[in-house]
Amino acid sequence: MDTRLEKIKEAVVGGKHNEIEGLVKSAIEDKVDLERIINDALISAMDVVGQKYSNNEIYVPEMLVAAITMKKGLDIINPLLLEGAKESKGKIIMCTVKGDIHDIGKNLVIMMLQGAGFDVIDLGVDLTTDKVIEQVISVKPDIVGLSALLTTTMPAMKTLIEALVAKGLRDSVKVMVGGAPVNADWAQKIGADGYAPDAGKAVELARRLVA
Amino acid sequence: MANYKDYGLRKPDPDFERIKKTVKLEEPDRVPLLESLVEYPVQSQFLGREVKSDDIKSQVEFYYQAGYDTVPITVSAMAFGKVDDASPISKVIQKKMLKSEADKADMTKWSLEYKSFINDRDDFDTFPWEELENPDLLKSLYEVGQYLPEGMKVIANSGKIFTLTWMLMGFNNFATKLIMDEKLVADVFAKVSQIQLMMLDKIFELPYVGVVWLVDDLSFGNGPIISPDHYRKFVFPWYKKIARKCHDNHVLVFQHSDGDLNPLMEDIIDIGTDLLHPIDPTCMSMSKTKQKYGDRLAFAGNVANELLRSGSTDEVDARVKYLIETMAPGGGYCLAAGNSVTDWGKFDNFIAMLKAAEKYGNYPIKK
Repeated sequence: MDTRLEKIKEAVVGGKHNEIEGLVKSAIEDKVDLERIINDALISAMDVVGQKYSNNEIYVPEMLVAAITMKKGLDIINPLLLEGAKESKGKIIMCTVKGDIHDIGKNLVIMMLQGAGFDVIDLGVDLTTDKVIEQVISVKPDIVGLSALLTTTMPAMKTLIEALVAKGLRDSVKVMVGGAPVNADWAQKIGADGYAPDAGKAVELARRLVA
Repeated sequence: MANYKDYGLRKPDPDFERIKKTVKLEEPDRVPLLESLVEYPVQSQFLGREVKSDDIKSQVEFYYQAGYDTVPITVSAMAFGKVDDASPISKVIQKKMLKSEADKADMTKWSLEYKSFINDRDDFDTFPWEELENPDLLKSLYEVGQYLPEGMKVIANSGKIFTLTWMLMGFNNFATKLIMDEKLVADVFAKVSQIQLMMLDKIFELPYVGVVWLVDDLSFGNGPIISPDHYRKFVFPWYKKIARKCHDNHVLVFQHSDGDLNPLMEDIIDIGTDLLHPIDPTCMSMSKTKQKYGDRLAFAGNVANELLRSGSTDEVDARVKYLIETMAPGGGYCLAAGNSVTDWGKFDNFIAMLKAAEKYGNYPIKK
């Protein structure tokens, strides 16, 4: 790979937020293709970050600073892209379910999804089924991401999927679920399209769901 | 008012020596019961009358009647469990940081579960720390002495150094500043810890305090929230100071953290922790943990909250039997829930847990 792209990627993985602007500007001056800077350096770096997080090689702070670094790089490139060239990988709405205000996990997933080029709308915490349905109708997302920390709130995921079916919306949107008490069996049992155990894996799952 | 007889439990005979022996990895007469929190609705249901956070007399009555040797009292700025308006930090924020009295009715304006208050250096400098140094926060601890039955001691629920720091700063802000403004994070950790250390001096004046329990969630289900190195640099030195001070004053040090603590176990032992709780049943194996660290550390917990919520009384009985048979021979184990006894668990399952402890927990443990 181009050493300039390699350096940008390393800077993101290492969270070198003070160096990224210089590296990206220098690559732009050298006429490196903007799409390649985005896909092969910035987004590709966040894939490495996700893997490292999944493997407990880095932790939440390192992951967040990597995302900040990535965004700083992206902010330099975005104004230079022609309108229409800003390709979204897909539209996702995210929230914690009714009764659950614990949003650390949801926020990490959002950050990683944004880093991977998804257009993410954060609906916040403690969302009623009706409110999520309303958003599915108006936003028309590719994916709804639901998070729950408590065993007492996770049944709300099932309620939402049932409501999507009842409203005839289930075929138009994928549902991914996550959170401490949630697992793949639960996801299957309630008819979700997928489960991810952490933020890095959530990106992989989202990519599969929109492919 | 209901008492132990109404549930077919044995006559209470609290004895803190039971806990001390267990922690020394010796076998007392029976496996002790231990909790740092039984939620007030559960206490209320047990006693058949309402128990509130400021009703210390009734709380002692509950732990006594249910067969515990200790009663937990919160002495830190944050109570175990939800950040509600009973939490001292909430009272300080409500008193000093709200724009109007009406904001008190809106939890999102003051609860650290919704809002953070130290985003930068200015916020740190102007935060009303002196309010948290107020000895009134120990009011319950001073009060409890007069109600304690013979043999029973108090657990001072302290700690929350890590949790209070990140909650005051907001999680994402805390996590990024840990790398991007390390000095600010170190200063918040230091301030929060120094207040707790100062409180300890007052706690040690009370002869009925037997345990200081550091309640601080350090891990997610998939591992530590921040890197072990960051814990070693910012958090564990404070724990160590607290533990040393406790031991110098003949007070035991217990620690609670949810999540997978495997990468931190040697540190937890090195800190001077006497007992670790609850060995989170969703991600850690009690038997493997005992096998690996049981010669250096005592344990409590692991009756999963999900089991207490959705299981049958027979399943609870079987789990308690398994835990006692696996963990208790040779001492080093107190029976407790997988986090705390919550109001969303089945009350009958809580009683089943107490009964099973009586049934299987007498030494020598029979299989």
